[in-house]
Amino acid sequence: MKGAQMISRPLLAVAIALAAASAHAEPKTINLPPDGAQLKASTLPGYAKAQANCVACHSAEYMLYQPPNAPRPYWDAMVKRMQAVFKAPIDPADMPVIVDYLAKTYGNE
Amino acid sequence: MRKHSVSHPRRRFIAGGLAAGLSGLAGAQGAATDMPFVNGRRKLAAYPEKRPLIVLTSRPPQLETPFEIFNEGLITPNDAFFVRYHNAGIPTSIDGDKHTIKIGGAAVAKPFEISVADLRSQFKPVELTAVNQCSGNSRALFTPRVTGGQLGNGAMGNARWVGVPLKDVLAKAELKSTARQVTFNGLDTGVFGGGDFVKALEVGHAMDGEVMIAYRMNGADIPMLNGYPVKLIVPGYYGTYWVKHLSEIEVVEQEFDGFWMKPAYRIPDNPCACIEPGTAPAATRPIGRFNVRSFITSLADGARLHANRAVGVRGIAFDGGQGIREVAWSDDGGASWREAKLGEDLGRYSFREFTFGFTPKKGKHDLRVRAWNRSGQSQPMEALWQPAGYMRNVVESVKVWAA
Repeated sequence: MKGAQMISRPLLAVAIALAAASAHAEPKTINLPPDGAQLKASTLPGYAKAQANCVACHSAEYMLYQPPNAPRPYWDAMVKRMQAVFKAPIDPADMPVIVDYLAKTYGNE
Repeated sequence: MRKHSVSHPRRRFIAGGLAAGLSGLAGAQGAATDMPFVNGRRKLAAYPEKRPLIVLTSRPPQLETPFEIFNEGLITPNDAFFVRYHNAGIPTSIDGDKHTIKIGGAAVAKPFEISVADLRSQFKPVELTAVNQCSGNSRALFTPRVTGGQLGNGAMGNARWVGVPLKDVLAKAELKSTARQVTFNGLDTGVFGGGDFVKALEVGHAMDGEVMIAYRMNGADIPMLNGYPVKLIVPGYYGTYWVKHLSEIEVVEQEFDGFWMKPAYRIPDNPCACIEPGTAPAATRPIGRFNVRSFITSLADGARLHANRAVGVRGIAFDGGQGIREVAWSDDGGASWREAKLGEDLGRYSFREFTFGFTPKKGKHDLRVRAWNRSGQSQPMEALWQPAGYMRNVVESVKVWAA
């Protein structure tokens, strides 16, 4: 009992200090909504690879909203940029099928 | 504590806005809007601290302001202000007082670190009303179309910013004579560590006394998605330089060539920043100041009017910081022009209101507005083109029918 009291006083002091600190701190916190679009389903082999790679970092509107004239070189450049600049861990062997899926599903092919 | 007590009225306003948004949401479940270009159907969604906005991308969030909001006033409300991120590693919880900015780099004698609480208390605050506009605002309206974020005209906004001059903060670090550029980094990061969003300004620009570290926006905390708790304000310059959640400033001795300065965010290096559609520029430079723009805000394209009845038309004009000198309007597609009346001057970086009276005869009218700044720069009648889809500023056309 006595020991419990001895422990509780400092604990209480810590609790008060924490409460005061948190009253000052009050971090601003937000919760982001889920993605508003999913990749278009396809029988092309690149669909599964795009699911595994592209949407790990960003939502599917990035592809969905490109203009219909977006040519294959655009999709090729984007996939390469994701790997080279953003360090997306895309297996180089998967890149041609991903580009093929994107160009045929969202581009001008 | 002080900051949060003053933010309470704003919070109630936001809560009210969200409630209104939610009550609208039941009826507007899956609300969508059709933008005036091919593949332009967009969803609207209310993100944290935001009313329902046009969703360009949901992760990371890129949100566009519905254009009718620009007719409600010269100041764009915080909960309607556009959002643009490049990476999905965005902060979702920040202690606004304890957040720190590190100031260092090879070209400072005394690197230091400062909390936002100290930034507020140790420096004299300044206030400036300034437009922020995305480089790619209006990209989807390019002909021929260009790839990238397909924005309408809503990736812009005008706000009252309060903060401290960057010059005063950098002075404490004692810049060396070798200082060439200043780089800016924020808390947002790439998911796999690459492509961190870092921007650079020439040291003379960074020290011009106008570039600011802001901690208030329209009398309230900066919304999280606009850069809470501190955002770099670069008046007259495209939003790409307005780094959010500012956390690191480095004064460097060479030109910074990170991805977001090179090859990204560059324009053709010629006077018009334009090239023949479908060609590639011979040389490029980093994007810089806004060109001149003007928009009718009170009438949408395709509006129906009463013939022979006067209608008051309102709009906004802005430029890269010279200030708007004149706005002219035409009701015959630009064949003849008359002068519009300029409204209140909130400063040379702000939206400037213009108004004119128009009494349409029966039939179709092609309304156009064209602004000039104090240097005589204006807007082209035919749209200029560049491959990245930046800096669109053609004289806009609003077609109306009177019956």
